[in-house]
Amino acid sequence: MLEAFRKRMFVFGGSVALVFLILFIQLVNLQVVHREEYTFKAKMNMENYIPIPAPRGEIYDRYYNIDNSGKVLVSNRPSFNLTLVPESFENKKEIRDVLVKLSGFVKFDIEEVMSEIKKGNPWERVIIKDDVSFETVTKVASHRYLFPNINWEDAPVRVYNYGDIFAHAIGYIGSINKSEYKKLKDSGYKYYQSLGKSGIEKQYDKLLRGEDGQIRRIVDVKNRTEGEEVGKDPLSGNNLRLTLDFDVQKAAFDALGNNRGTVVVIKPSTGEILTMVSKPSYDPNLIISRDNDELLEQLYNDKLKPFLNRSIQSKYPPASTFKLVTSIAALETEKTHPSKRYTCTGKYTLKGFKDHDFFCFRVHGSLDLYEAIGKSCSSYFYQLGYKVGPTSIMKYASYLGLEEKTNVDIPGEIQGFVPSKKWKLKTFGQPWFDGDTINMSIGQGFLAVTPIGMANMLCGIVNNGIVYKPHLLKEVYSPDNKKLVYTPEKQKLREIPLSPITLDTIKKGMRKSVTMGSSGRLSYLKVPICGKTGTAQTRSKRQENKSQHAWFLGYAPFEGSADQAVVVAVFIEYGEWGAVAAVPVAEKIFAKLIEKNYFKKD
Amino acid sequence: MLGRDSISRMDLSLIAAVIVVVAFGILMIYSAGFDPIDKINSGLYKKQILWFIIGMVFLLFLSVINYKQLGDYALYIYGAMFLVLVVTTFFGRPIRGTSAWLSFGIFSIQPSEFMKLASVILLAKYLELKERDISKFRELLIPFLIIFIPVLVILKQPDFGTACIFIPVLFTMLFVAGADVSHLVAIISAASIALIFPMIITYREWAGYTGSNFLLDLFVNKDVLFTVSGIILAIAAAAFTAHYFFKKPFLRRIYIPASVFSMGLMLSVVIQKLFKVYQKKRILVFLNPDLDPHGSGYNIIQSKVAIGSGGIAGKGFLQGTQSQLGFLPEKTTDFVFSVVAEEFGLIGSVILLGLLAFIIFRGLQIALSTKDKFGALLATGITSIVFFHILINIGMVIGIMPVTGLPLCFVSYGGSNLFMAMMGMGILNSISMNRSMY
Repeated sequence: MLEAFRKRMFVFGGSVALVFLILFIQLVNLQVVHREEYTFKAKMNMENYIPIPAPRGEIYDRYYNIDNSGKVLVSNRPSFNLTLVPESFENKKEIRDVLVKLSGFVKFDIEEVMSEIKKGNPWERVIIKDDVSFETVTKVASHRYLFPNINWEDAPVRVYNYGDIFAHAIGYIGSINKSEYKKLKDSGYKYYQSLGKSGIEKQYDKLLRGEDGQIRRIVDVKNRTEGEEVGKDPLSGNNLRLTLDFDVQKAAFDALGNNRGTVVVIKPSTGEILTMVSKPSYDPNLIISRDNDELLEQLYNDKLKPFLNRSIQSKYPPASTFKLVTSIAALETEKTHPSKRYTCTGKYTLKGFKDHDFFCFRVHGSLDLYEAIGKSCSSYFYQLGYKVGPTSIMKYASYLGLEEKTNVDIPGEIQGFVPSKKWKLKTFGQPWFDGDTINMSIGQGFLAVTPIGMANMLCGIVNNGIVYKPHLLKEVYSPDNKKLVYTPEKQKLREIPLSPITLDTIKKGMRKSVTMGSSGRLSYLKVPICGKTGTAQTRSKRQENKSQHAWFLGYAPFEGSADQAVVVAVFIEYGEWGAVAAVPVAEKIFAKLIEKNYFKKD
Repeated sequence: MLGRDSISRMDLSLIAAVIVVVAFGILMIYSAGFDPIDKINSGLYKKQILWFIIGMVFLLFLSVINYKQLGDYALYIYGAMFLVLVVTTFFGRPIRGTSAWLSFGIFSIQPSEFMKLASVILLAKYLELKERDISKFRELLIPFLIIFIPVLVILKQPDFGTACIFIPVLFTMLFVAGADVSHLVAIISAASIALIFPMIITYREWAGYTGSNFLLDLFVNKDVLFTVSGIILAIAAAAFTAHYFFKKPFLRRIYIPASVFSMGLMLSVVIQKLFKVYQKKRILVFLNPDLDPHGSGYNIIQSKVAIGSGGIAGKGFLQGTQSQLGFLPEKTTDFVFSVVAEEFGLIGSVILLGLLAFIIFRGLQIALSTKDKFGALLATGITSIVFFHILINIGMVIGIMPVTGLPLCFVSYGGSNLFMAMMGMGILNSISMNRSMY
């Protein structure tokens, strides 16, 4: 019996020994084998990194740093967020008590903050009030004992100094959204950061954003701070100097008035964009403010589409401005010569199964090509276009880049459209008719171009066939503006081998438009200006009792070095007549360009 | 009473080991009570020092009393403790939802701790009396009643962890006292069957399975369960009757497993009703801590992070980030071992484990060398109480046992458990001092 007891005691003792062995093995497993993993997790528990936002780069117009007339277009205003972490309080009542005390110093909605706290994770910081001034933060800090767990953080606010004037070119910033974050997290973007949402802000976000700094905090489980240190100083973003000329931009913006439309001004010798205005516009300062949901929705739902950058994101029939293309096709294929005369009787009858009349807006009589361009005689171009044929016109429209993007350095550009016989058959199940050719020779029908595409085409003509990529970025500077970091080189987009006769004919014809045609208002200006108006019939229903868009395409000086030349494109939606709506806008722009000595010989 | 002679006969190595382990514990409670941000200490360690001093008095007092007297009064001790336990459970003011504490104003005691000792004393006495008959199945009834009556009361408190400790102690004592192993296996099998179905059902409900499962749906329905277990029980009864008349051995192979299975099914209905959902969830969280990353699963994860990040040498006294910065929960009580492992590393945790192992093996040695059966069983019982605390507590904090909320004897903060453990050591010492006299 006693032996049995001893035996069973040994079994029990053996089991005890086994248990201690297992405990020992698991300790070794945790403390030796998996030590690194758990050390990392312990570090994750107690370390908390607070980002120090990097000041975003400023944006200047083309004369900044060169003379005193330059303007700071976008800058940053120091500002703070007051925040709290719910977990660092004992209970909701304590939070409320502190908030009530705090509301004696800063005005904010306590209920809104409390509901925000209810929604979120107790460890995540909640913004009590954003855009708080330095003075207020100083006041709160000096009463720290009243608000033990109220924190503040740097939150500089982006300031668009000229609001709606530069809205479409420069764009605006906003909080990173889910899909953007998914795409960009590998390039170092964090979920709490802002990024450029459109325009220059988006295109050059990586240059502008800099690199956030970090404060490393040791925190306990209630997120109380045991110690903190600056882990990394923030790196400011680069400053950008744009090609935009503040004065010309403003002149164009003002000249457009309440019209819906766009102005693009380009220097053909480099591709620099001096002006890019689109109307209706919006104020980016309102977009970036915190409680903007209502405004954003209102802007998104606005039928007039204020967010649309009409210079690059919409296309219209080029109308009479396309007569330049028809002329080029005719001259280059040697189907005509500049002094070839056609007679305008006020209409042109296309003979066929059933005769069809195409009308000109006036009876011009006999004219040569110069006069035809100058007076924009449609009868002349019906006859010329018919002679040249659709294939050549399409080919030259394509050569001149009208169905390609200009690759301007802001996102969202769309391409123009030049029809083809194949396209028409596929889309309408009909062959290409002669009537289509007639329509196309005066820029009507299926054609659609973007204003910047049209401006860029003229750049090619003015610059004797060489087209540069239109762009807005002139130079990139270091954050202190002491160092020029980068100057983008001008990029040749294409070279169109146009004969000197063609170029000369087009320029002279456009000059005639000013001296004797629809751009007559520009003739008194001190610099000889060339132009071409257009009045586009639209397929869409009439708006405001008008059914035609107004175009003006021009440049100055008429004869001179291409290096001095500046191209101006004006487009006004439902402007009715190019000569009436678009030319006066161009007039103000040319006047400003002259005033700013763009055409002065060195 | 404490003459030179009795001091010389004391088990000094056992007492020394206990003192070192308690001192170790006080050091860790000091560390865990320190707030590195406000730079103040909660002062809990001072109270533990006081408990330790009182505990030493108990230990020495029980050392010099002949443990045999405990055997003589076993039923009275058990009865008195049980009365206190019942009063506490049914009339006490609940603290954090548990009526486990009897409050005396400035301090409170936990009667269930002392019930452990009282039960073991009575059990040892009973098993001594039934020394020859214990291999019979029916003789197991009284030991089970001795243990399960207080267990049911403690479950009522509810204190799942404390209730848990009684059962392995019971089986250990039955085993060393000479119970038939096949009986113990049968009982454990029935209990396992009883537990499995409620667990699976709870798991499915919790994990959000909505689809029905024919077999499980049957086991949710208690009428079906009773019918099935009744049929099996009838088969068992028939086999038993047949065996009675024909004495064919294969019939034993039918009625024994059949009755075990039938009992298990019937018990599963009881368990499904008796166990609180959170208790069933706890066992499931142990099996899969990811089920509850914010609740008790969180505690285990943080404990493992504390222990693992301690490495071999530890982060240093007062330097454990997990405990000092509050990520480790219950760091003075249930998770005090994690603080040791974090601040003193593998070296510290193995030293502590070694000291505890020393106490256990010393207890077993005393049991083995005692010629008196009551003394041997009592020593085994007391040793197994401490041993299962160690197994369940350390097993829990290192993530290989369920989260049951048991303190680590001698080390965790708390007067009642420390008193119980030190009183146990006193009794062990008394057995050790008297073992050669019989």
